[in-house]
Amino acid sequence: MADMAGGPPSTADPDGPDAVRMTWNAWPRSKVEASKCVVPLAATVSPVRPHPDLLSLPYPPLRCKPPCLAALSPFCRVDFSAKIWICPFCFSRNHFPPHYSAISESNVPGELYPQYTTVEYSAPTSDAMPPPPPVFLFVIDTCVIDEEMEFLKSAMRRAVGLLPENALVGLLTYGTQVHLHELGFGEMSKIYVFRGTKEMSKDQILDQLGLSGRGPGGYHKPGMPAVANGLHHHQQQQGGSVSRFLLPASDCEYTLNALLDELQTDQWPVESGSRALRCTGVALSVAAGLLGACMPGTGARIIALVGGPCTVGPGMIVSKDLSEPVRSHKDLDKDAAPHFHKAVKFYDNLAKQLVNQGHVLDVFASALDQVGVAEMKVAVERTGGLVVLAESFGHSVFKDSFKRIFEEGEQSLGLSFNGTLEIICSKDIKIQGIIGPCTSLEKKGASCADTVIGQGNTTSWKMCGLDRSTSLTVFFDVAPSDKSQQGIPNPQLYIQFLTNYQNSEGQTRLRVTTITRKWVDSSANTEELVEGFDQETAAVVLARFISLKMEMEEEFDATRWLDRSLIRLCSRFGDYRKDDPSSFIINPNFSIFPQFIFNLRRSQFVQVFNNSPDETAYFRMLLNRESVTNSVVMIQPSLLSYSFSAPPAPALLDVASIAADRILLLDAYFSVVIFHGTTVAQWRNMGYQNQPEHQAFAQLLQAPHDDAQMIIKDRFPVPRLVVCDQHGSQARFLLAKLNPSATYNSAHEMAPGGDIIFTDDVSLQVFCEHLSRLAVQS
Amino acid sequence: VDPKSLPRPLDVDDEPTSILETYPLNCHPRFLRLTTHSIPSSQSLLARWHLPLGAVVHPLAEAPDGEEVPIVNFGPAGVIRCRRCRTYVNPYVTFTDAGRKWRCNLCALLNDVPGEYFCPLDASGRRSDVDHRPELSKGSVEFVAPTEYMVRPPMPPLYFFLIDVSASAVRSGLLEVLAKTIKSCLDELPGFPRTQIGFLTFDSTLHFYIYPSSLTQPQMMVVADLDDIFLPLPDDLLVNLSDSRNVVDAFLDSLPSMFQENTNVESAFGPALKAAFMVMGQLGGKLLVFQSTLPSLGIGRLRLRGDDLRVYGTDKEHTLRIPEDPFYKQMAADFTKNQIAVDIYAFSDKYSDIASLGSLTKYTGGQVYHYPSFQAPIHYEKLRHDLSRDLTRETAWEAVMRIRCGKGVRFTTYHGHFMLRSTDLLALPAVDCDKAFAMQLSLEETMMTTQTVYFQVALLYTSSSGERRIRVHTAAAPVVTDLGEMYRRADTGAIVSLLSRLAIENTLSHKLEDARQLIQLKIVKSLKEYRSLYAVQHRLGGRLIYPESLKLLPLYVLSLCKSIALRGGYADASLDERCAAGHSMMILPVRRMLKLLYPSLLRVDEYLTKAFDEFEASSKQLALTAQSLDSTGLYIFDDGFSFTIWFGRMLPPVVLNDILGADSSFFPDVSKVALCEHDNEASRKLTSILNKLREKDPSGYQLCNVVRQGEQARETSLLLNKLIEDQTAGTSSYLDWILQIYRQSQSS
Ligand SMILES: [Zn+2]
Ligand SMILES: [Zn+2]
Repeated sequence: MADMAGGPPSTADPDGPDAVRMTWNAWPRSKVEASKCVVPLAATVSPVRPHPDLLSLPYPPLRCKPPCLAALSPFCRVDFSAKIWICPFCFSRNHFPPHYSAISESNVPGELYPQYTTVEYSAPTSDAMPPPPPVFLFVIDTCVIDEEMEFLKSAMRRAVGLLPENALVGLLTYGTQVHLHELGFGEMSKIYVFRGTKEMSKDQILDQLGLSGRGPGGYHKPGMPAVANGLHHHQQQQGGSVSRFLLPASDCEYTLNALLDELQTDQWPVESGSRALRCTGVALSVAAGLLGACMPGTGARIIALVGGPCTVGPGMIVSKDLSEPVRSHKDLDKDAAPHFHKAVKFYDNLAKQLVNQGHVLDVFASALDQVGVAEMKVAVERTGGLVVLAESFGHSVFKDSFKRIFEEGEQSLGLSFNGTLEIICSKDIKIQGIIGPCTSLEKKGASCADTVIGQGNTTSWKMCGLDRSTSLTVFFDVAPSDKSQQGIPNPQLYIQFLTNYQNSEGQTRLRVTTITRKWVDSSANTEELVEGFDQETAAVVLARFISLKMEMEEEFDATRWLDRSLIRLCSRFGDYRKDDPSSFIINPNFSIFPQFIFNLRRSQFVQVFNNSPDETAYFRMLLNRESVTNSVVMIQPSLLSYSFSAPPAPALLDVASIAADRILLLDAYFSVVIFHGTTVAQWRNMGYQNQPEHQAFAQLLQAPHDDAQMIIKDRFPVPRLVVCDQHGSQARFLLAKLNPSATYNSAHEMAPGGDIIFTDDVSLQVFCEHLSRLAVQS
Repeated sequence: VDPKSLPRPLDVDDEPTSILETYPLNCHPRFLRLTTHSIPSSQSLLARWHLPLGAVVHPLAEAPDGEEVPIVNFGPAGVIRCRRCRTYVNPYVTFTDAGRKWRCNLCALLNDVPGEYFCPLDASGRRSDVDHRPELSKGSVEFVAPTEYMVRPPMPPLYFFLIDVSASAVRSGLLEVLAKTIKSCLDELPGFPRTQIGFLTFDSTLHFYIYPSSLTQPQMMVVADLDDIFLPLPDDLLVNLSDSRNVVDAFLDSLPSMFQENTNVESAFGPALKAAFMVMGQLGGKLLVFQSTLPSLGIGRLRLRGDDLRVYGTDKEHTLRIPEDPFYKQMAADFTKNQIAVDIYAFSDKYSDIASLGSLTKYTGGQVYHYPSFQAPIHYEKLRHDLSRDLTRETAWEAVMRIRCGKGVRFTTYHGHFMLRSTDLLALPAVDCDKAFAMQLSLEETMMTTQTVYFQVALLYTSSSGERRIRVHTAAAPVVTDLGEMYRRADTGAIVSLLSRLAIENTLSHKLEDARQLIQLKIVKSLKEYRSLYAVQHRLGGRLIYPESLKLLPLYVLSLCKSIALRGGYADASLDERCAAGHSMMILPVRRMLKLLYPSLLRVDEYLTKAFDEFEASSKQLALTAQSLDSTGLYIFDDGFSFTIWFGRMLPPVVLNDILGADSSFFPDVSKVALCEHDNEASRKLTSILNKLREKDPSGYQLCNVVRQGEQARETSLLLNKLIEDQTAGTSSYLDWILQIYRQSQSS
């Protein structure tokens, strides 16, 4: 929708079957030229995005000889008579194996069809090894008020009802201490208790649970149904089995519901002037430790429902003393957040452990104050976990999002586990790293660049959790070797993405996407480069890039950096006469890029001081993991206008779009706002919509709601829906996102029924004027 | 000398009640017995006595119906006590000044009589209300204590059970017996409706139980962090029994099955103990520990120090009998400080270091119950009885005991299970009718100036009903200048009780051999002294001379030397059994001590086969020698702790078959037989005899062992070794012993 504001016409699926989008679709050949492009060479990849035309192949791929190991693709040259294929990456000649002997020009396997640049391989499944069941370990905060506890319980009850029968379920509750529930203990409810203040190693935790195999453990009942697939077989025999804590959903539904019925808020008294003692850190350590007893390769997720800040033990973000406020951006800036670095270090270690085990941390934070998402971010992002931030466990943002993770079918998130992404690319291309929900597997190779962005220094990444919308941004560099400049250079570059993962049914899949792009010699002519520019992707990549820089670099001035980059870009690719701003024209491929940057500068990603560190972390995590299309909406919301006079239509993201007789629907990704002009609101208040003769008005009122529901239905996390009226208190949710073309400084120009924004921010028009002037400066 | 003529306690031992004829205002000797009811007037006289001078105090001894200790409430007058020495008013105080003053019998201070307590004196100077005032007419009385006798409100009785649920406890069937027994006692726990109860089970981890009022089932909370014990909840770990009876029942019902698959062989006993302390700390109460495995994990872990043959006879020998780890003594101190008494029930079939565990009971006023190699079918009844008795006997809580005595004498040492809080104050977190204490007296001055010395035992405690009480026993004894008088008034029972305790304490710092020799030396010296006294008076040298009052002393001392706690060396008793016996003897009242030292041997086959209707409880006891055994007979040996039923080889098979309830030829090994009643005359009669013997003393329960004549090792260990008059390996016969002592007392 964003592009409707003036960009090139969008196709139905801008990502295409490959689900790869690049900032530049034609690549400059030299490092110098690449740096002149200003916007980095980068690709966004959605490694397991579903596509109706995806070709599924029930056999393993042919791979090039080591160390290349590229999979056979349509870009390979095939000598059908000699039964040989030539790898486009390393130019090795590979013989087809005997079972390919029947191939010919008229009989080629699917992976060689030119249109199938993305295929998915599945090894034939054997009955002997059914796929391991997914593991859901719920971690529930009990330091909440009774009302929130009831919300939590009802959300949990619903989740328990939706769990797949074979899923293994565990329950851990925590407050001052950690309570791990042994679901398989028949006689009475049995809880392992851990002190909330003490940092423990995984070994200590397993020892205490009797799962280390060292000491004799607990009381495994031999008669209990064996939960063989996900668990160490030898542990089962020892009786110290993790199956005491993780039971098939079908076996423990009753127990879980009974436990939820009995679950109380934390029993330890809270001193006056104090926060509740909440040991989120130890709770997550114990959860991770428990999952450490699962067989490697088991897809497991810790689903943490967090109701407040960790105030005790490792991972503490604020002391229990209420007089100490939770850290703000200002505190972080001034290095005046005493617990921050320690907590981040703790969660970083937790992330390492989870990645090692291949397990996921999901955080559902619901609180009015911050809970420490900023600190936990590293553990969620490195493991590919989900994150949802809401005000209350009763709020639909939490409730509906939480439900989604257990839903199947259309609504399914397609939660997958144990992904690894490998990237193979043509010789002259180096990989700087990835921004997004993954962890470097530290597999260094020839195609690693010297400079690192995000998770770098590797050609292989782990994604413990990934789903249909998971998206990664890969940063490339060109480094032509001397050799390749001799002889006839290959006009095409190739990149292959190989994603190995366990889908939501537990089956192992290998998806191979091979793409090719054109090399261009840009020193003479920028035309081909310009043609290949994807301004949406470029805006999103820049947003991700500066978010990372803001986190990593002290005193990084994002606004200034963006301005300079935009000016450089415009002066390189614009048409103008030097020093004549009025002559400035830019190619349609760049036309809305300035607007993206204008909005990015004003967005939550850059203007962090309007939000808490938790919110910023939350926004950034979603920015980093969503598709380009979705991320663009985060940067530049879309606006639809509804009126009697015209069908619903995109409107300019501008205060000028507000009119008394209109309804506006703003999609700012995290929130969806339905905004009634004053006249519409009056009519509605008078109840016209209920009168048969005003059916059209009723329809007008209803239409944005229906559209909003369409948006909400497809989105995870579920956005916050705000319904407001012009001049109402909630109207700020809309106004904050609009271009302040009319401010109190220009109120005299306001159209009747319109609105103004109380801001000193420059408007888009002023911004663009400045840009033209600076871009043409010699 | 004819062995038959040697003195034996074959008639029922009577308490020295004759004292009451001379001192009718004294408390009954069941509460207080002096080793001699004559206090020497001088140090030099005392030095010639050689035997310990002291007392055995049994403050809560059970009194027969009609002789209960009367309760006195002074109301607003407050408890009447001497202003200076704090003696409680008693029958020996005298009133003067027309009843307005009273003179303290201990320190002679003249005290004012409070207005509320005033009563005019009659012509003979007695208060006219004496007969209506137990405190002025009875040697034993119990005062209701006003609030100034409380440092905090009286706590409700608390019974906390710390139960080892490791594999061996499960295997032996212990958990089932425990659960059933505890459940059967719940209605009778003292202190209804205030009684509190709690449970903690453990193996390599600790299992707390909470009883939320909303639940019908308790919840188990496991704490496995043994290095850093903490409570899983701020409260709810103890419950009021009457409020939460259903949950407690539910817990006990599921306890045995809950752990039936437990294969854990570890014991985190020390951490569990700390946890129990944390749970009970606020209230105090009784901690009952059921231990089946040597503590192996966490603080207080103990090693298999075993019973090392090579250590015996060296000066390291005694270290086996004292706690190895200071943890236990420290814990005991903490428990006492927090009014917690610890009872240890030990069941292991392996070494379990009773020496260390026992110190928990020693300093907290507790008790050791030892069931080596516990097997539910065999030990069920005994454990059930012991535990029921422990749980249901009247218990005094948060107690302190002090014994005052008149000028010139002073108690210097105390022996038993308690913590000495100051020089003369015994702290007793809990004390009951089965605990007795011994103490030694010394003379403060060279010459006693008074005619009479008074003793007053005062036990301040909280009753189960939540009342603060002071139980006071007062006694007077004459001061004598004649050693012969001291001998005439000697009390062998008290002497043996005190000597036993001294000897056992001695084994904690010396070799067994040395401890035995020390007591032997004492009696030799005293007999020598008496001999010289007697010889001078009667010129009858060369004969064996016993003072009548001490005629049984050599026999009891012989028996003491042969008791499990003191006998032999390495091979003669397992270390745990020795330590357990020692702990149990340290608290025994006089009568049980004597019974243990000279058990009864009864022939009962005639009663079983012939038409005698009633078995006489006072039937003739036999001398403890194999010569008493006739191979045609059936005998019961009873030491108060166990029965040994001995079947003579020639006993008619029909009797044997009737009693075993089956053809005896199917029982080549009767050790596996659990004796129970069968549907025949002989079996019924035997059962009724055993019951009758048990009823005589409800404080213990005799475990029944069955042995047939000729069953080599068992017969020796179960009976022949216990026939203390006979010579066994390394020990003397009664006759040899007497001759030995005689010879030694002859020599200069
Ligand atoms: Zn290759
Ligand atoms: Zn006095």
